Amino acid sequence: MGIADQLNTYLTLAGMLFAIGTFGFLARRNAISMLMSIELMLNAVNLAVVAFGAFVPDLKDDGAVIALMVMAVAAAEAVVGLAIVIAIFRNRKTPLVDEYDAMRR
Amino acid sequence: MRAWLYLIAAAVAGAIVTTPAIFVLLLMGGSFEDATVASLATLMLAAGLAVVTMRDIIRCGLAMIVCFLALAGLYVALGAPMVAAAQVIVYIGAISVLILFAIMLTQDKAAPSRLVFQTQAAPAAVAAIVLAVLVAVAAAGTDWGAVGELVGAATTDIALHLFDQYVLAFEAVSVLLLAAVIGGVFLAKRERDA
Repeated sequence: MGIADQLNTYLTLAGMLFAIGTFGFLARRNAISMLMSIELMLNAVNLAVVAFGAFVPDLKDDGAVIALMVMAVAAAEAVVGLAIVIAIFRNRKTPLVDEYDAMRR
Repeated sequence: MRAWLYLIAAAVAGAIVTTPAIFVLLLMGGSFEDATVASLATLMLAAGLAVVTMRDIIRCGLAMIVCFLALAGLYVALGAPMVAAAQVIVYIGAISVLILFAIMLTQDKAAPSRLVFQTQAAPAAVAAIVLAVLVAVAAAGTDWGAVGELVGAATTDIALHLFDQYVLAFEAVSVLLLAAVIGGVFLAKRERDA
């Protein structure tokens, strides 16, 4: 049995992509980079969901439907998140999150 | 001089993508599908790493498009062409363009961010690696009731499911999208001096 028809391949792949996104979210300074990392994490989860739908017979149709829902919610999240970043940038003139320290001073 | 650099970069990228395919095909005796999945997975992970590590944020956005495209290829390999089409339309067509626009609106040339990472980058890397290992171990150690072959869903079945069993979620998502559009316009619009 090759790697292309095993569920574990895709789950491991999704875990690695999710870890990459986690690292980006924790480590980047730019707010838009953090949003891009969140998109990577959402895509990783989507890959896991589609893989389950492709390999578990009980979830045959549900996987694709859930993946489409996740995409729609991710689009809404991207719109609101980027609008917030643009609004903050207009006030603070910087996209770097560690300079958003108004509530720490 | 510049052109040579681009050529070398393209050659390196092509080598990164094709090496695992050749490896799987020749050394592990895999099928053609195995080779395709291996090279798509490598492309996805390499582009994902480029998204989180590259200095120039525009290039991060373009690498994100490559990552999403490789992921769409993986969806096709998983027998879900409907999801792959939605991935290309929604992620590459809409979200990536939105993010690229936001990048162009918020980066100023005067102060290029020399320091890309926070000070907690090293612990974050350790945490991410631990997370990946945990997920891999958990995925390998659990019996998911999976069968060894693809049970791809037909688009008709997906549509029947979406508009029958999941119709409430479908309507809720439509309301959510409307709220997101209105909220996005409200948040991003310039305030009028009153």
